Amino acid sequence: MWETLIIQPLTNLLLWIYDVLGHGPHMFGLAIILFTIIIKLITWPLNASQVKGAQAMQELQNDKEWQDIQKKYAKDREKLAQEQMRIYKEKGINPFASCLPTLIQFPIIIGLYQSIIRALSATPLDMLNLARTVYPFQNVENIIPLNSTFLWMDLGRPEAVQILGFGLPTLAIIVALTTWLQTKLTMPTSSNPNDQSAQMSKMMSIYMPFLLGWFALNFASGISVYFIVSNILGVVQYAATGRANWSNLFGGGKSSTATKK
Amino acid sequence: MNTKRLILFVLLALGALFLSACSGQPLVNTWPGLAADAERAYISSGSFIYAVDVQTGSEVWRYPAEADSKILFFASPVLTTDGQLLIGSAGSEHPFISLDVETGKENWSEPFNGGKGVWVASPLVVDDVIYAPNTDGFMYILNLNGKEIADPVELGGALWSAPVTDGELLYVASLDHHLHIINSETLTVTETISIGGAVPASPAIGMDGVFVGSFASKVDFVSSAGVSTTVAEMGNWIWGTPALNGETMYYADLDGKLYSLDLTTNRQNWDNVKPNGPVVASPLVVGDQIYIAAEAGTFIALDRDGKIVWEKTPGGKIYTTPVLSNEFILVAPYQAEFALAAYDFEGKQAWTFTPQE
Repeated sequence: MWETLIIQPLTNLLLWIYDVLGHGPHMFGLAIILFTIIIKLITWPLNASQVKGAQAMQELQNDKEWQDIQKKYAKDREKLAQEQMRIYKEKGINPFASCLPTLIQFPIIIGLYQSIIRALSATPLDMLNLARTVYPFQNVENIIPLNSTFLWMDLGRPEAVQILGFGLPTLAIIVALTTWLQTKLTMPTSSNPNDQSAQMSKMMSIYMPFLLGWFALNFASGISVYFIVSNILGVVQYAATGRANWSNLFGGGKSSTATKK
Repeated sequence: MNTKRLILFVLLALGALFLSACSGQPLVNTWPGLAADAERAYISSGSFIYAVDVQTGSEVWRYPAEADSKILFFASPVLTTDGQLLIGSAGSEHPFISLDVETGKENWSEPFNGGKGVWVASPLVVDDVIYAPNTDGFMYILNLNGKEIADPVELGGALWSAPVTDGELLYVASLDHHLHIINSETLTVTETISIGGAVPASPAIGMDGVFVGSFASKVDFVSSAGVSTTVAEMGNWIWGTPALNGETMYYADLDGKLYSLDLTTNRQNWDNVKPNGPVVASPLVVGDQIYIAAEAGTFIALDRDGKIVWEKTPGGKIYTTPVLSNEFILVAPYQAEFALAAYDFEGKQAWTFTPQE
């Protein structure tokens, strides 16, 4: 099922883009970039709903009624949960709206990684599996093996630029930086010191760059290209919808309610 | 469950999912390589190379003593007449090494580390020269001490298969859809022939040329002068090297069809022989029988008329070409209960070998 619903369509989409581009050197990297743009466009409404959901949750943290019930039912968790649900209902907020898009995108990231590895076919078994993955309409004999070169990278392997005998993982650094940039720009600032979601966002802005940087360091650089393009497009999307929190980058932190809605 | 715990739980679950999906280096997963002499079989499988006694099926030695996650073997090792076993690593570190066939100890003071890519292909050894094709598109020329004795020959594409030679010319196939003909004296490329599809296996040496199976779903004869002629077309990819026996050529495709082509008349000797599903391994011809290892995990002996003589099921999947050693045919299944099995010519299983932890 995973194979049929995720790996096969993603691999075929990648190969189709690669074929259309002319399957020469650097084209698989371009195919990954175009693929990422397509995925971002498809998930745009989901991301928009994530932004909206996160914003609503953030605003709720500063809501007086919300803060009152936190204090009032601090020792009665059951009652607190009931009251929270009532407020969610009244204000039309779905508390999971900010998590769902992330959950949906995760299989895409995993599937993309597996598709890149499958498409590049670094081993005979990968090649055999690729032959069985490709839809009949694809001109598979002509396009494989894929040219895994992109700029200075081999997209099927972790990247490092050799400087004076030392391998500098430039892509992993860029992945970590763009991830940090995206999380910073999308992280709302909160005036409420007990705001759990703000604390969680702050933790995320620290851990996520390291986590994705670690993935970029250890896995095929094709996935790093996806991360970088995805992060940049994420920033663009936030900026385009006027929700990027530039104050997190340039100081003068204002509350989240001050950002454009 | 409060929000913080819920988010932490979701993050942990997603992290676990991601790690489980991505764990392990991609190069781990492929089938083993196999070679044998009269005394031992040599299997390259993942982190180790095992030497196995052909009479008893017991382990003689393994290399290295401890697994190293950066070193992986799956090319078929190659034996030299002076008692070396040659193989390159396909791991994140990719030395090309020589082992003593008796002890499994490294022969060279330093492995050859000149290859920029991993080693999927077996080398070819002619006299005291090693021709070692690499996935970086170069063929490296070494002596039997592991030292480069000439500049590498740039061919292009990933080289996955061992070169073959007629004594004067070297024929090297590439995944970039080309076959290269190289003068073994001058190491110059005399001809580069487009095959129309990737060529993952070695060509078969014929009279004044080679037979090449490819992902273009055909077998071509390429003469020493570089003239290509298609001798057979089929419905799917040909992975293994065609097996030549007298005037007959045997080959199989991923549709699972086994072919027997009479090279004198260019006619098929039989029609629609489908042993048991897709075939990746090359056929092996011994005496009057043709042995086929099918992906489905079956090992089949056929007679010259294409009739199945016997069929065994070692299990797992079989992609590795069976190897003859004395009175046994050795089969190395992938993801089976054992790593190696020996069958006599009547199909009786003599022993199996499973590496101990």
